[in-house]
Amino acid sequence: MVLFKKIADWLEVRLGLRDLVDRELTGYLLPRNINAWYSLGSILLFIFALQVVTGILLLIYYVPDADRAFRSVTTIMNEVPFGWLIRMCHAVGSNMMVLILLFHMLSVLFMGSYKSPREMNWLSGFILLNLVMAVSLTGYLLPWSQLSFWATTVATNSVGTIPVVGGRLVEFLRGGTLVGPATLGRFFALHVAVIPLTIAALVGLHLFLLERIGVSTPPFGMDDTRNAWRGERFEYEGHPGGIPFFPNYLLQDLTSIAIYLAFFFLVVFFDPYLFFPKDAFLPANPFQTPAHIKPEWYFLANYQTLKIFPSEFVGLAVQGMAMTFLALLPFVDRGKEKHPLKRPLFLACSVGGILLWLGLTIWGHYS
Amino acid sequence: MEQVGRRKFLMTSLGGVLAVAAGAVLYPLYRYLAPRRNIDSLGKVSFPETEVPAGGAKFFDIGGATGVVVRKANGDLVALSAVCTHLGCIVQWQKERQDFLCPCHAGRYTADGAVVSGPPPKPLGKLPFSVANGTITVG
Repeated sequence: MVLFKKIADWLEVRLGLRDLVDRELTGYLLPRNINAWYSLGSILLFIFALQVVTGILLLIYYVPDADRAFRSVTTIMNEVPFGWLIRMCHAVGSNMMVLILLFHMLSVLFMGSYKSPREMNWLSGFILLNLVMAVSLTGYLLPWSQLSFWATTVATNSVGTIPVVGGRLVEFLRGGTLVGPATLGRFFALHVAVIPLTIAALVGLHLFLLERIGVSTPPFGMDDTRNAWRGERFEYEGHPGGIPFFPNYLLQDLTSIAIYLAFFFLVVFFDPYLFFPKDAFLPANPFQTPAHIKPEWYFLANYQTLKIFPSEFVGLAVQGMAMTFLALLPFVDRGKEKHPLKRPLFLACSVGGILLWLGLTIWGHYS
Repeated sequence: MEQVGRRKFLMTSLGGVLAVAAGAVLYPLYRYLAPRRNIDSLGKVSFPETEVPAGGAKFFDIGGATGVVVRKANGDLVALSAVCTHLGCIVQWQKERQDFLCPCHAGRYTADGAVVSGPPPKPLGKLPFSVANGTITVG
């Protein structure tokens, strides 16, 4: 359109817009053999954006007060037009975010994308994993149902096993000895402001590192192009002769997001309470713990681990060590080989680890 | 069809699908955000006569706005909108002077709502009311 061109010209004079578009969009080249797993990052970004939007909409009607929280959520579900849709998108979306995040982490593990020179990307991603778990945990308390109240009690209790500072730490987290109105206040602030902003900042860092260092080529599939021409800007790893991000890979990402949305809406409209046990529908009763209180599915493995070890501290320490190992993986695994079938030790450990996690999760569900 | 025709057709169809999708997102969003009618203060408001003493006034919510019932010195009841016709502040009943004063810009109304002084351009709106069995019903 003529109008478009006029605006583009106006901006070109002031911002050098065409040069920016050339570098960041049409000139940002990616290897030809990128596979579908690479879309998971964009899907996560989309999910995060959706969570922020639905979260802000929920803020309009939700009341973060222990006496009124449950009632306000019921009002959103039953009286506010399409409130049920916004709320279910937010609740289902949070579970989807953790699920897709785990798949993203798996794909990075199996394609060896965490290896040098991408250690910082892995570390920022690891921190993001913890932040997403934290935002889910804090969000869980907000409806102030029996499930919210008691799952939070169990989750915050586990921190108490840390020697010396454990007790103080639990009280600090809860804003008191037990979960109560004070907990709601601080969890609300964390969930709505602190953690999402931190996630946004870290995602920015994660994407910056991705572009600066260069995306990692998959170790299988088509051969990367052999064109050797390189430009003058800094790139640790470039992909000259590759395919532009815009519009090619952007369209691929949009396709993947559309597929995700199909799956997402399938759950939202046909089985929205997939992740809701019956305790989620009862208002919190601080004097009555329900019989089979359990955390969300992504915490079941942690929960079961704590139950296995007679000493809670040992259970916590074991998990701490496992997480630390995961965080430091790029420094432990220094081999250059990225193809999973050519890394037997890695394959054995990771498949074993995944099966262990799955087994603990299933055991946690039934125990 | 030529190549260009096929492309145009597909792009138009895609545009149509995206427009429908946008509508499917924007309509619930609009309904969610639009203010709802509160069922309680909708039509009529009732209260016992005794709540309005001689020379006194009672303020209440009605139809999303504020109304007032005044019992004048001679015993007559008047039901008015309490929203000042100048810029929308709620007028106050002045017991000593038996009139209404708007605190925002000192608009003054008689007990019947007629403008005495100040910036209000119109008198206070009258509200329909009835009295039966010691109960006043406004609206």
